[in-house]
Amino acid sequence: MRSIILQILAVTAINLKSLPQRLWLSLATVIAVGLVVTVLLAFLSMANGFRRTIADSGAEDIAVLLRSGAVSEINSVVLRDQVRLIEDGPGIAKGPDGKPQTSGELYLTVNGIKRSTGTKASLPLRGLGPQGPGLRRGVVITAGRMFNPGSNEIIVGRALGREFEGFELGQTVTFNNTRWTVVGIFAADGSVFESEIWADLPVLQSLFKRAGAVQTVRARLTSPAALETLRAYSDNDPRLKLDVMSEAAYFAQQASNTSDLIQKLGWPLAIAMAFGSLAGALNTMYSSVAARATEIATLRAIGFGGFSAFVGTLVESLILAAIGGVIGAAATYLVFDGFTASTMGASFSQVVFNFQLSPRLIGQGLLLALAVGLFGGLFPALRAARMPIVAGLYG
Amino acid sequence: MLAPTDPMIDIVDLCKRFTKGKETITIFDGLNLAIPNGDFVAVMGPSGSGKTTLLNLLGGIDRSDAGAIAVAGERLDRLSESELSRWRASHIGFIFQFYNLMPMLTAAQNVELPLLLTRLGRKERRERVETALGVVGLADRVKHYPKEMSGGQQQRVAIARAIVSDPALLLCDEPTGDLDRTTADEVLSILQVLNRDLGKTIVMVTHDPAAAQYAKRSLHLDKGHFIEKELAA
Amino acid sequence: MNDLVLIRKNLFRRKLRAILMMVSILIAFAIFGVLASFERAFNAGQDRATPDRLVVVNKINFTQPLPISYYNRVAAIDGVAQITHFSWFGGYYQEPRNFIAAFAVDPENWMKLRDSDFVFPPEARAAFIRDRTGVLVGARLMEKWGWKVGDHIPISSNIWSQRNGSHAWDFIIVGSFTARIPQADTSVMLMGYDYFNETRSFGKDLINWLTLRTTSVAANERVIDAIDGMFANSPYETTTDSEKAFNKAFAAQLGNIALIVELVVGAAFVTILMIVGNTMVMTVRERTREIGVLKTLGFSGGRILRMVLGESILLALLGGLPGLGVAFLLITRVRDSLMSFVPTLSLYPDIAAAAVGLMVVFGIITGLVPALNAMRLNIVTALGRS
Repeated sequence: MRSIILQILAVTAINLKSLPQRLWLSLATVIAVGLVVTVLLAFLSMANGFRRTIADSGAEDIAVLLRSGAVSEINSVVLRDQVRLIEDGPGIAKGPDGKPQTSGELYLTVNGIKRSTGTKASLPLRGLGPQGPGLRRGVVITAGRMFNPGSNEIIVGRALGREFEGFELGQTVTFNNTRWTVVGIFAADGSVFESEIWADLPVLQSLFKRAGAVQTVRARLTSPAALETLRAYSDNDPRLKLDVMSEAAYFAQQASNTSDLIQKLGWPLAIAMAFGSLAGALNTMYSSVAARATEIATLRAIGFGGFSAFVGTLVESLILAAIGGVIGAAATYLVFDGFTASTMGASFSQVVFNFQLSPRLIGQGLLLALAVGLFGGLFPALRAARMPIVAGLYG
Repeated sequence: MLAPTDPMIDIVDLCKRFTKGKETITIFDGLNLAIPNGDFVAVMGPSGSGKTTLLNLLGGIDRSDAGAIAVAGERLDRLSESELSRWRASHIGFIFQFYNLMPMLTAAQNVELPLLLTRLGRKERRERVETALGVVGLADRVKHYPKEMSGGQQQRVAIARAIVSDPALLLCDEPTGDLDRTTADEVLSILQVLNRDLGKTIVMVTHDPAAAQYAKRSLHLDKGHFIEKELAA
Repeated sequence: MNDLVLIRKNLFRRKLRAILMMVSILIAFAIFGVLASFERAFNAGQDRATPDRLVVVNKINFTQPLPISYYNRVAAIDGVAQITHFSWFGGYYQEPRNFIAAFAVDPENWMKLRDSDFVFPPEARAAFIRDRTGVLVGARLMEKWGWKVGDHIPISSNIWSQRNGSHAWDFIIVGSFTARIPQADTSVMLMGYDYFNETRSFGKDLINWLTLRTTSVAANERVIDAIDGMFANSPYETTTDSEKAFNKAFAAQLGNIALIVELVVGAAFVTILMIVGNTMVMTVRERTREIGVLKTLGFSGGRILRMVLGESILLALLGGLPGLGVAFLLITRVRDSLMSFVPTLSLYPDIAAAAVGLMVVFGIITGLVPALNAMRLNIVTALGRS
C-alpha cells in the first residue's frame, strides 16, 4: 500500500514539475474552466438573487386576497363590500385596538427612467392605508418621514431610488397630472417592497377614479394554519369570489417564472460551454501524456505500476480544473455578487434585486469544474497507464 | 545554362562561422572546391569537420559569410531567400539519413510534393511520379504509407522524391547511415545508376568507407580543408 | 494531390486532437448562433417598427386605459394617415399558463395599418370585418394549437370577466394570416372590439393604446405635439412616441439582454480561441523538421505561411459550420415553447453569414502565430542534428 502511494506521489510530482513545458496550454485550460464556472455562477446568482428578493418578501402569516382568476395584483379588483366582509372573516388577527389587521391596497404602475439604460420603465405605485406598512416585515423609514394621509406625498423604497432616476428625497414627481413630493425613503428588510412607491390609498383612489374599490386585501392571520379557515370562509360566500393565498405562496408564484427562466437558460449554457472546455481539457491532457511518454515509460520499465501513471495523470487534470473553478468562483464573487439589477417582474413592473452568490452555488460551480477535470483526465490517464513501454522509451 | 566544360560546383574562398553563445567556431576559412558536371563525390571526415554544413551551403539552405559559391552556373551567395527557394526546387534533390518523408502521405504523394511547385497538370505529375518510382523499383508501393515500408524502401521513396523534378545535382547526407549492409548496397547502386545513366551530379556525405566505394572519388574534410583520395575506377 | 490535400492531411494527423478542437469550435459557434438569434428576435420589435408609426399611450403608464373617444379625436388631427386602437385581453387558453397574446381591435383599420407586416387572405379579411364574434389568428399560433379556420374556441381572460361572471369568451376562428416580413409576429390573436366591449363587465369604452401612421416621417414631431397637447390636463393624459422607441423601452425593461448575450458569447470565444490557438502552435512546433524538409524541396516561406493559415481556417470552418447547424436545430426545437417571449426566433441569414465571417477571422487569429513561426523557420535548425 505504501509503495503504491509513493509511486503515485512520484508520478504526480513528475507531472506537475513538467507543467511549465505546457504552460500556455495548461493555462488555457484553467481559464476555460474558469470561464465556464463564471458563466454558470453568474446566471445562478442572478436567479438566486431574484428569487430570494421576491420569495423572501412573502410572509407565511399574511394572507393576500385577490379577485378569483387574477394572476397578479394589477389584474385584480376587490369591491368595498367585499373588503368589509373580509374584515369580519375568521382567522384574522386583531390589533391592540381590537380592530382586524387588514389593509386594502391599490397597485398601479407609473413610469420612471431606468438609470442603467436611460429608458422608460414601469414602476409599482402602491396605495395603502395606515395599517399597510405594519403588515410588512422590517419596514423602517431610513430618511425623511411617512407621508401625511390625504396629501400628495409619497415615500419611496430605497432599492427603487437606487435603480431609477428622480426619486431622491424632496424631489417632486408628476403622475396623472398631479405633482407628488418624495417625503421619505424606506427600507423593508431587502424585500421586493423596496422596489415600490407608496402613497395614501384614498388619495390614489380618487385620483385614478377607483373610488370605493381596491385591488388586493392583505390580512395578518392569527397563525399560518388559519389560512384554511379564511379560504373556506371566502369560498362559501357567493359574494366573495376571491383567491386566498399566503403572501409567501403569492410571491413564490410570481418569482418562479422569471427565476426558472434564468436557471433554464443558465444551466444549459454552462453545460454547453463545459463540453467545449472539456474538449480543450482532453486536448491538454493528451498532449501532457504524449509529452511525458518517455518519463512514464522509464518509470514503468523500472517497475512502477500502470496505476500510478493513471492516478498521476488524473490528479494533474483535476488540479488544473480545480484551480480554474476557484478562479471562476472568485471572479463571479468579485464582479457579480451584490450587483444590483432590475428586471420586469409580474404585473409588468420592475423588481430590483441583487445577484446573490451562496456557498451552495459555489459548490455547484466547483462540482462542474471537477466534472470537467475528471472527464478530461480519464481517458488520457488510461492511455498513460496502458502505454506500451517500448513505444514510450524509443519514441 | 551550363556549358559542358563548366564545373557543376565552383566554390572560391568560402568562409563560414558558427556562433554558439560567446564562442565563435570557424568551420571554413577560405575553402575552394570544384566539382565537374556528372561527378559522383563522397565527402568524408571526422564529425564536426563541416561535411553537413558544406552540403547545406551547396543546396542553398545555409548562407556563407564570405566567398563565392556557384552551383549549376548560379551564384548562390547573390540570391535572396525566395530566389533560393525557387532555384532549389528545380536544381537540387536532397536525400537525408532519416528519409524525412511525410508520415501522413502515401509514397506517391510524397514523391509528388516537389511537383506542386511546378505548373504541371495532374496527369503530367502522375506520370512523372510513376516514372520516378519506377527508377527506384517501387512501382508497386505507390499507395503505401511510410510506416508500412522498411527503411530501405523509405529511402528509395526519398530518392524518387529527390529526382522527380529532374534536378541536375543530388545532395545526400549519410543516405545509408540507418540501413543494414544489403539494403545500403541496393540504395547505393541506385545512386550509381542515377549518376552513370541519368548523368546526375552527386555529392554524398558519408562516414562509411564501403559506401564511399560507390562514388567516383572521395574528398576528405579535416579542419575545414580538403584532402583528396582517388578511388579505383 | 494539391495544397488543399496537404492541408487536410496535416490537420488530421492526430485525428483525436483535430476532432476535439472541432468540437470546441462547434460548441462556441452553436452558442453564438443561438444567442445572437435570440437577441435579434428579442429586439425585433425595434426592427419591424417603421419610422412613420406612432403609439399613443396613457401618460402615467401604458397599463392605464384611454377613453375610446380619443380614437376619433386623434384620427381628425392633420398628419394622421391611418389609425387603429388596441385593448389588451390578457388571454389564456384552457389554463392560465397557456398564455395567448390576444388584442381587441377595430378590424378594418387594424388590418389596413398592418398590411405592411402581414398577408391577409381576402376571405379572412372579409370574414373578420363581418363576423362580430370572429377572431383572426396568426399562422404560428394556429400551428401551435392545431386550430383550423371554423373552429370554436373558448379564450379566457385573467383581467376581464363577462357580465355573467365568467372569464371565458366563446370565439370562432374566421381566418388566419401569415407574415410578410421575417420580423412580423404571427403568434397573436385579434378580436373585434365591439363584441368585447359590449360583453365585458367593467371598463366600458376604454382602450389601452392607439397605433397610427403619419402622412410622412417629417410630420411626426408635429403630430406628437398635437396629440399630447390635445389631452394635456385632461383626466387621461397621453404620451405619444414612435413605435420603435416604445418597443425598445419595453424590451429594455427586461434587462440589457444584448449585453448579456455579448458577454457570454465573448467568454465562449475567448475560451476556444486560447485552446485552439495554443494547440495550433504546439501542432506546428511538432512539425518543425517536416517544415524544414518542405523548405529544402523549395517551398517558399510565404507558401508555408498560407498552408498553415489554410489549416487553421479549415479547422474553424469544419467546426463552425456544423455548430451553426446545431444552432439551427436547437432554435427550431425551442421556437414554440419560447413563442410568448421571442415570437420571431429563427436563425436569420445575416447572422449565419456573420458567423461564417467570424469563422474565417477565428481561423486567421489562431493560425497567425504558428504560421509566422513556420514561415520564419531556419532550415538548418529545423532539420537539426539527427
